[in-house]
Amino acid sequence: MTSTTPTLERPAQSPARRSLPGPDGLVRTVLRLHRTALWVWTAYVALTVGLLLWLWGPGANAAQKAFDTFGYAGAQDNAFQGRAPIVLVGGSFDSLFYEPSTLIGIASCAIAVFAAGPLTARELELGTAQLAWTQSVSPARWLAAKLAVPAVLVTVGTGLIVVLYRLVWNAHNHLLVAGIGPRSFSFSIGPATVATALFGLAVGVLAALVLRRTLPALVAAGLVQFLASAMRGNNWPFQHSPFSRLQPELPVYSKAITSSGAKVPDPGCYLSQKCLDRHDITGFTRTYLHSPDYWPRQLTETGILLALTALAVVGAFLVLRRYQPRTRRPKNTPEPKKETAA
Amino acid sequence: MSSTSTTPAVAIEATGLDKRYGRHGQAALDQCSFRLPAGRISALVGPNGAGKSTLLAIAAGLLRPTSGHLTVLGAAPGAHRDRVAYLSQDKPLYPQLSIADTLRMGAELNPGHWDAAYADRIVEQGDLDPRARVRSLSGGQRTRVALALALGKRPQLMLLDEPMADLDPLARHELMGTLMADAAEHGTTVLMSSHIVAELADACDHLLLLGAGRIRLGGGIDDLTAAHSLVTGRGTAADLAPHTVVESRPAGRGLTALIRRDGPLDSAWEAQEPSMEELILAHLRNPGAPALITPGTTASAVAVTA
Repeated sequence: MTSTTPTLERPAQSPARRSLPGPDGLVRTVLRLHRTALWVWTAYVALTVGLLLWLWGPGANAAQKAFDTFGYAGAQDNAFQGRAPIVLVGGSFDSLFYEPSTLIGIASCAIAVFAAGPLTARELELGTAQLAWTQSVSPARWLAAKLAVPAVLVTVGTGLIVVLYRLVWNAHNHLLVAGIGPRSFSFSIGPATVATALFGLAVGVLAALVLRRTLPALVAAGLVQFLASAMRGNNWPFQHSPFSRLQPELPVYSKAITSSGAKVPDPGCYLSQKCLDRHDITGFTRTYLHSPDYWPRQLTETGILLALTALAVVGAFLVLRRYQPRTRRPKNTPEPKKETAA
Repeated sequence: MSSTSTTPAVAIEATGLDKRYGRHGQAALDQCSFRLPAGRISALVGPNGAGKSTLLAIAAGLLRPTSGHLTVLGAAPGAHRDRVAYLSQDKPLYPQLSIADTLRMGAELNPGHWDAAYADRIVEQGDLDPRARVRSLSGGQRTRVALALALGKRPQLMLLDEPMADLDPLARHELMGTLMADAAEHGTTVLMSSHIVAELADACDHLLLLGAGRIRLGGGIDDLTAAHSLVTGRGTAADLAPHTVVESRPAGRGLTALIRRDGPLDSAWEAQEPSMEELILAHLRNPGAPALITPGTTASAVAVTA
């Protein structure tokens, strides 16, 4: 027996879709294995982006019209009347505006559950992970691909939604009913939103590798992610001052405009056109100013979440090593023999 | 450094291998030591729970032994994943993939040494539609796809755990033929567990019999059968004194015994060489028989003498 590599008979006409060698083979395999999840994620991103674009454009028309007429009181009235020009979920601009935020919250838990269940634990339970490990792929490379491919998709999708959401906010925040809504929204949507989604991915994979079984892993990951999301609602220890658990105030710039173009304080006419005419008010301007607290809070939160994500990823790789034989060779063992002719 | 290569290349070498499941679990492998020379087609037999699957999974780099040491193709298990194929007993496959996608995955996960034509041929022989989902396949059909995945990577060492259990006799015969022809052609080492002893006798030239977590019998089949005799004659088991009696049972006025010879046999006994099946069954029925491991299959104690 010689250990020359067997001469492989090349097929006469090689199948059209032979994959290229290299690391992208594993990436393609991961994508193909989780095709359904990929479609669900794409649908979620498309739906949310669609809703945001609609809110950016036509969705804000009715509220904008009310605002132009009566100022903040008009926008408030529009919100309370709760009628939207197009029945999507039913609701005013003010209520529809927060729907993508709800979707983002659901998605982050769904990411954790998916990462724990179908992505990792189910494979360990079915033995298909072991199938991959007995191809020419080491468990560490397998885990790296399992983390990297969804991480890219999650980052791109969530990042897109967050950027668009901030644009809608900047364009239309004057149409929202003031109070805790805009305040908590403004402080929560940002890079930390993306970090939360990535944290869910890492926690899910770690839970699956530690618990090894689908259902417990899925429940644990969902729970941890739910708690992490709950912390995001201004509950991190670093976020409150010793005196208050409230989020910082959002400064608002609000003026009425007279026919001469002068900006005057809102006369407080509510929905009375007569009153507005008396004060010679022809328009309004209102916008939330950028809070100086925003970036420090967002970046601290992002940093903490990314650090936790990194810890979970390192933990996952360490736990994965438990699955494999030790690679160090014990003493008194000869060097691995070169392939010799037998 | 490197040992002299007068000894044949070693495919697997285990030294004092222990595996316990759980802290107080019973040992699945208990001081298991052996050496499998390269190029052999070895049958791994033993009663249920003897540790066959555990041994194969450790060799495939999927399980960590509790203690002891194992080398596969001269390195730690898992170091040569590209050169070792493993087929687990429950033949896991991705149920959501089609057969074609499963094989494509094989190509993607084994870049550079995937033989697509060979894998396709194994699937085609089973009249399987490549577009069929793995989920819709019968057990035997899944086995065929799993085998195609294992063989398509053109391994140097195949670790097969009950590879043929789900197959119908015809498919079993034909796939075993494919496997053996391929192994012979490329000098592949095969370690294959099975309960179908008669079938192994045709295909294998080497035997590892596991009992209670260690090797009871190990070596080339010809050597092992030649070391034993099936004797018939008048007398008692005690009369066979210098020889080791593996099994004896009364036959007419005397007895029939399977013995391991120690020196020449008394001509009063009528002796014949046992078949591999007789040899295995006798050892399975009598787990107390002392172990016999031929020199070529004995693990080197500490290091190969340089």
